[in-house]
Amino acid sequence: MIESQDRVEQFKAEIAEMKLRDPATSRDRIWLGVGVALMVLGAVLAAIAYPMSHGTTNPLAQSDAITLALAGIASAVVGAALFLRYSFASFLRFWLARVIYEQKAQTDRLLESSSPTSTEG
Amino acid sequence: MTLANESANSAGDSALEPDETPSVDNLLELRNIHAAYDGIDVLYGVDLAVPRGSVVALLGPNGAGKTTTLRVASGLHAPSSGDVIVAGRRVNGAHPEQLARTGFCLVPEGRGIFPNLTVRENLRMMTYSGRSQQHVEEVTFEQFPRLRERRAQLAGTLSGGEQQMLAMARGLATEPALLLLDELSMGLAPIIVEELYEIVAQIARDGVSILVVEQFARTVLGAADYAAIMVHGRIARVGRPDELEAELSTAYLGLERTLE
Repeated sequence: MIESQDRVEQFKAEIAEMKLRDPATSRDRIWLGVGVALMVLGAVLAAIAYPMSHGTTNPLAQSDAITLALAGIASAVVGAALFLRYSFASFLRFWLARVIYEQKAQTDRLLESSSPTSTEG
Repeated sequence: MTLANESANSAGDSALEPDETPSVDNLLELRNIHAAYDGIDVLYGVDLAVPRGSVVALLGPNGAGKTTTLRVASGLHAPSSGDVIVAGRRVNGAHPEQLARTGFCLVPEGRGIFPNLTVRENLRMMTYSGRSQQHVEEVTFEQFPRLRERRAQLAGTLSGGEQQMLAMARGLATEPALLLLDELSMGLAPIIVEELYEIVAQIARDGVSILVVEQFARTVLGAADYAAIMVHGRIARVGRPDELEAELSTAYLGLERTLE
């Protein structure tokens, strides 16, 4: 273990440098809500656009419906991205760290096996 | 006189009672912490300090709020009000992973190991902190030689004591400055508990500050520098272990009212 005195000083320094968000402003939760709202909005727009385009033979009205549907898709994609960013990200981060570690270990093993010293004997 | 009043009047308890200004000599301070689950209050103004380099035992009967206090201290549960101060800085709102990266380590009740991974794989998970696998294993096997023999064994097949050792080893692998231990003795034979607390005392001698929560108090008092008794979400009494030993049964059996 490293010298305990140094460790405590390092701990204090890291605590002092830690960037803290004001717990009163739960921005993550707001963005999560915005993501869900955009996803719902996208589905609603698509649901409106479909009967709108089928209910008319007017190409201009159908173009409007296509525009509306595309806006719905865009809204759903952006909403899904926000939702993933602010909900699953913290869970996935841990597994990502593990995958990165294992890939690094695999690379080290490959390098070791291909190095000249490993072929001795 | 109630136990709480006795506590307030005791001259020897000042080490655990935070002063008005945050002290960097206390690695952890809880000030007037209130906490609730789904609107139901469980902590009512908890004040507690862990001085640098000391072992503090938080004792109390089942349901007293000990684990919630640890959860609040480690950022896992947001307090309704009050301040969590680490190394002189108020850290309310800090994410648990932020605190863990700095050297703040919680060994949870129920051990928190991966039962389907081997001992080595469990230790490998701790390399997130930037330490190499080799370093983590060196630190672990020096402190817990028995785990070296079990390194290829699935963690779920270890004995209760060995699982607890692995849980502690996972915490120590990050070289914490502050270690929080929750119910180390849960489900273990007294002889194993004694062995674990010898290791806790050794870790403390290495300079790590420790807050340990226990329901079964006798063994932990031997390893602690200070102790606090918690009853019904409040700190009822703080002091040196020898001062508190006689009052434990009174606090646990809820006899404080008869003392008034």
